[in-house]
Amino acid sequence: MEAPQYVAARVQQALAEDGRTHELGIRVDIRGDQLFLRGQVSGPEQRERLGLVAHEAAPELHVHNEINVVEATEPGEDEHLD
Amino acid sequence: MSILTDLRIAAVGDIHLGEDVRGHYRRSLAGIEDRADVFLIAGDLTRHGTLQEGKLVAAELRGLPIPTVAVLGNHDYHSDLEQEIADELRDAGVIVLDDDGVVIQAGGRKLGVVGGKGFGGGFAGKCASEFGEREIKNFVSHTRSIAEAWQAALKEIEADHRVVLSHYSPIKETLEGEPHEIYPFLGSYLLAEAVDTAGADLILHGHAHKGSEKGMTPGGIRVRNVALPVLGRAYAVYCLTCADA
Repeated sequence: MEAPQYVAARVQQALAEDGRTHELGIRVDIRGDQLFLRGQVSGPEQRERLGLVAHEAAPELHVHNEINVVEATEPGEDEHLD
Repeated sequence: MSILTDLRIAAVGDIHLGEDVRGHYRRSLAGIEDRADVFLIAGDLTRHGTLQEGKLVAAELRGLPIPTVAVLGNHDYHSDLEQEIADELRDAGVIVLDDDGVVIQAGGRKLGVVGGKGFGGGFAGKCASEFGEREIKNFVSHTRSIAEAWQAALKEIEADHRVVLSHYSPIKETLEGEPHEIYPFLGSYLLAEAVDTAGADLILHGHAHKGSEKGMTPGGIRVRNVALPVLGRAYAVYCLTCADA
């Protein structure tokens, strides 16, 4: 059986290199037959694509897609650099 | 008697726009002219660096009411179409820096902006050096030549304030939150050393989505990581205080 660290590395590589995603900052954790994705992306469709690519890279695992979508909210308070 | 006025700089990086979020980011820029005098974008405007995405980003940024300056990021280079993407942005009125500088009139002041994508290599004491295999030497010398170009551009520019705009980080502090093992791929101290030598008021960068917003170079220049996931808002606004004699 392949060590979970190698499976996680393969999934992370797929998320970075697959033409549908090209997402570099996603954390991949594997516990038993459960795979967890964590990180932040700019839209819900990208989150779904990441879940799909992870599933394709490790079809034997159950994918938990815990990625957050970052909303571009109001700019907030200014910072004065003096 | 001197009067203090502010030069207001709106900044963001890593907006990673794609078809599924078309129009969303532009809406968040409504009223930016009331909050800032200039808008600086620290790279990774696209996801895959395709021309289609470049056109989409250009459409989102076209016709903004304040001067807008951008550098590209590693994602914008992925499809080897960085020149074409830069051309699309320039057609839309965005000033795109590529290891050079520009002086713009902002808030009644001359603001010099110098920068480009930057590159990695790591930080003093824990970095790659120009030694060994050709591939390693190429990696490090790429960063070194960028740093030299920035230093030269900063020295040439005559302006009231100078800001450096990069994608990669010049310091470790604003990477805090990222795994230490990947720091050499997130930035290089050579960038900070060049800016400390030539002088600047502020350095803005992106790239490190899990990093921290605030840091400082060894020479005391303020550094801000403006990656959208770090800011958690459409853009940050930094005010440089000017004393009018």
